[in-house]
Amino acid sequence: MTFRQARWDEPAVWDLAPPRAGDAPPEIPGIPDRMRRKEAVRWPELGELEVVRHYTRLSQMNFGIDTVPYALGSCTMKYNPKVSELLARRPGAADMHPYQPEATAQGALEVIWRLEKILARVTGLSEVSLQPGAGAHGEWAALLMVRAYFRDRGELDQRTEVLLPDTAHGTNPASAMMAGFSTREIASKEGCVDLDALRSAVSDKTACFMLTNPNTAGLFESDILEIAEIVHGAGGTLYYDGANLNAILGVTHPGRMGFDVAHLNLHKTFATPHGGGGPGAGVLAAGEKLGPYLPVPRIVKNGRKFRFDYDRPKSIGKIKTAYGNFGLDLRAFVFALTHGEEGLNHVSRRAVLNSNYLGLKMGKYLPRPFRTLVKHEFVLSGVPLKAKGVRTLDLAKRLLDEGVHAPTIYFPALVEESLMIELPETESKRELDGYIAAFERAVTDTPENLHAAPRNLAVGRIDEVLAAREPRLSWKDLRAHPAKVETPGPVPPAP
Amino acid sequence: MLEALGISSVEQLFTDVPKKARIGRLGVGPGHEEPDVVRAVDQLLERNKPLSKFANFLGGRVSARYSPAAVDSIVSRSEFYTSYTPYQPEASQGMLRVLFEFQSLWVELSGLDVANASLYDGATAAGEALLFCRRIHEGGKFLIPASLPWEEKSVLQNYAMGPRLELQEIPYDDRTGRLDLEAVRTAVAAGDVFGMLADVPNGFGHVDEGVAELKGILGKIPLVVSADPLSLSVLEAPGHYGADVVVGEGQGFGMSPSFGGPLLGLFACRHEHVRSSPGRIVGATRDVDGRTAFALTLQTREQHIRRSRATSNICTNQSLIALAFVVYATTVGPRGLAELQRSLAEKARTLASALGAIDGIQAPRFDAPYLGEFTVELKRGTAAEFLDRLRRRKVLGGYSLADPRPGASSSGERILVAPSDTVGPKEIAKYARAARTAVEAVGRSA
Repeated sequence: MTFRQARWDEPAVWDLAPPRAGDAPPEIPGIPDRMRRKEAVRWPELGELEVVRHYTRLSQMNFGIDTVPYALGSCTMKYNPKVSELLARRPGAADMHPYQPEATAQGALEVIWRLEKILARVTGLSEVSLQPGAGAHGEWAALLMVRAYFRDRGELDQRTEVLLPDTAHGTNPASAMMAGFSTREIASKEGCVDLDALRSAVSDKTACFMLTNPNTAGLFESDILEIAEIVHGAGGTLYYDGANLNAILGVTHPGRMGFDVAHLNLHKTFATPHGGGGPGAGVLAAGEKLGPYLPVPRIVKNGRKFRFDYDRPKSIGKIKTAYGNFGLDLRAFVFALTHGEEGLNHVSRRAVLNSNYLGLKMGKYLPRPFRTLVKHEFVLSGVPLKAKGVRTLDLAKRLLDEGVHAPTIYFPALVEESLMIELPETESKRELDGYIAAFERAVTDTPENLHAAPRNLAVGRIDEVLAAREPRLSWKDLRAHPAKVETPGPVPPAP
Repeated sequence: MLEALGISSVEQLFTDVPKKARIGRLGVGPGHEEPDVVRAVDQLLERNKPLSKFANFLGGRVSARYSPAAVDSIVSRSEFYTSYTPYQPEASQGMLRVLFEFQSLWVELSGLDVANASLYDGATAAGEALLFCRRIHEGGKFLIPASLPWEEKSVLQNYAMGPRLELQEIPYDDRTGRLDLEAVRTAVAAGDVFGMLADVPNGFGHVDEGVAELKGILGKIPLVVSADPLSLSVLEAPGHYGADVVVGEGQGFGMSPSFGGPLLGLFACRHEHVRSSPGRIVGATRDVDGRTAFALTLQTREQHIRRSRATSNICTNQSLIALAFVVYATTVGPRGLAELQRSLAEKARTLASALGAIDGIQAPRFDAPYLGEFTVELKRGTAAEFLDRLRRRKVLGGYSLADPRPGASSSGERILVAPSDTVGPKEIAKYARAARTAVEAVGRSA
């Protein structure tokens, strides 16, 4: 496929109409002089067309699912249905204040209540809260629940350790640390949890074992029932990182696997858009043991009426303003209603089929470090490329030139020069074959071309080392260090 | 694909899931065609009464302001909303440049040096600020105003929970609603304080001049100011009176309230502390041809590299809402923002004086100056009953400041009132009439 990204020579917004030293903003009666802004905020005054054209041009220098397949492993970049965008903008969804009276928000409460019920089915865990802002926020809140649980049992000072496999997402150890636990990583065996290593790691210090299943190597942890037994046998709790739930919808669920608490990412499995980094929408689901500790308010149904319930004495309280990202929850609800039982079952089957097919075809070019039966994603190692002086980074950049998004790279860390690849169920066989062909062209290209990539995008290879060595993080920094600002050079001819 | 894989059924790809772990049906019901889903969801949403059906005086951290149509038009561009975190910067210059502009705008508003690319919401940004203060200063106690909304206190308590830090409430003056600066001095003199948070406007809606004196009292102890971004169009940038961190809730710039989410957490700090700061940061650099380009930077602070030693667990943030924030501010312009704040303040003053004339209502409850919102205290009846009577007259009269959890302490029947930009003199008069009727009715039944 021939592909060229737009390459607008678009100035920064402040260079479109450099703001003058401002007059003082209007005076507001009673506001003491000390608290008054003396000069108007330094920001440009632009006409609406100038604003729209500026940001539209910027948008044309950005990949999105609507234009390219996104093979980012563990990110589950599936199509975001347009109907959800339509419905989330209805006045009955968008024009609602979180503190308006319950009686005026019965529909919103019912959406939340019904989505929670659906997610309880999907996770096999009966108590659900939609309050977390994103997955990592849910991880942290779940560990606070674990903390409160052990506090109530008088074991808090003893159970100080969170265990995780070396394949864990980076958010897991970071969340554990924020929740006040120390972390201990368990080395994997052939990409999965090593039961012997786990047995020798658990103790009466174990508060929780955090696990993603299927894991970030794309492998289903087939020993999951034994894992649950080992962790519970030591008195610990078992935490399910739901980032990879897409692979197992309707096949198994955290409840059946023995997990006590889980987070889900609705922006992955339930197709809410990720917006260039966020918003996400997190879910907390817990069984009987940890359910009472979920954040307040919970939404309950009395007769035909829905209301907020704050009477949860064991609750950890609030983790965020209001009740979570309702606008995203509504989109997830639409996804669930559209799919239903059969649809959700199809999601996991098709996602796993895509992944195994891609693995088979792309595995011809680079080695697969683990077993070949995978779930939603798989891992390749770029090590053989090193012989010709090429790194996984070069391959990723070269893939961008094909008009496809690169896989996740250098993760999981236990595989050298790793690529983690996931194209979810919404990608057709034609797109998969297109991705495979692009991958073949990229991986067999000359080292010169791989090093020179990307050449078809708005900019060439970016100096990320310079960005970190001499941080310039705002317009204020650019003003303070004008000498260092590079003026846009001549646009190099496209190859 | 099955053929290529040499299998006859996709179920053969699930042999790694042990039988004992398999489930039967989920029991979530059948799927539906798009028109049926639209009909069903619309029926549900019609059971909501949106703000446009009322004279709306609900505010606080979440607000319902008019946003120019251009903002949603840009936010709806799927190149933005269907993209992922810009891990491959060359393919994502659009969003990276947006985030760089967003960071720059919060730097200008806050008066600090470095802003991150957003956090979940204002309350979690305050929570991250608490942890940040502990990283740059020793101690075990964090000071917060007693007037802070209960939700934010609860969120902060959770952020303080892990590292076993203590929140200490600083009382407010019962007449003015302002922070008791003597209590701050005493707390600082007692030692072990690693930071303090103050909010502008405060939880009662007031602009407390004393906040500008806090840094003089705290000395090297870091000061966090939680500021409403619209107020900063007319108020001094907190960085100019000593704030070391400025956080805020940014939803009011371009986003509908959406029943409380998505919101937008704002966070800025000083250069010397950037490596201790949470969240993603976009920096300017250059490409191989010397052109200015942008990338996520200082990532060695972050969870995907530093794991348990990261400054935060932030992975997903609120990039799209940051886009709305910067497009809104640029469309409205600095003069337009200041004018909006001025006009909201005028509406608030008009309403406060109308309510203050009613027997049984103290409005505003405190004397300190205010901008677009203020606190009302009822001398008779409950806030719930009062608001319910107003609602039946098609007025959303604000919300109760009380912590709704059973057993929570209460300091009177207080309501935060914030005229929205859609109300005019007619709606203000309607509120005053409805309020008079409501307190009179309570008086009769009492």
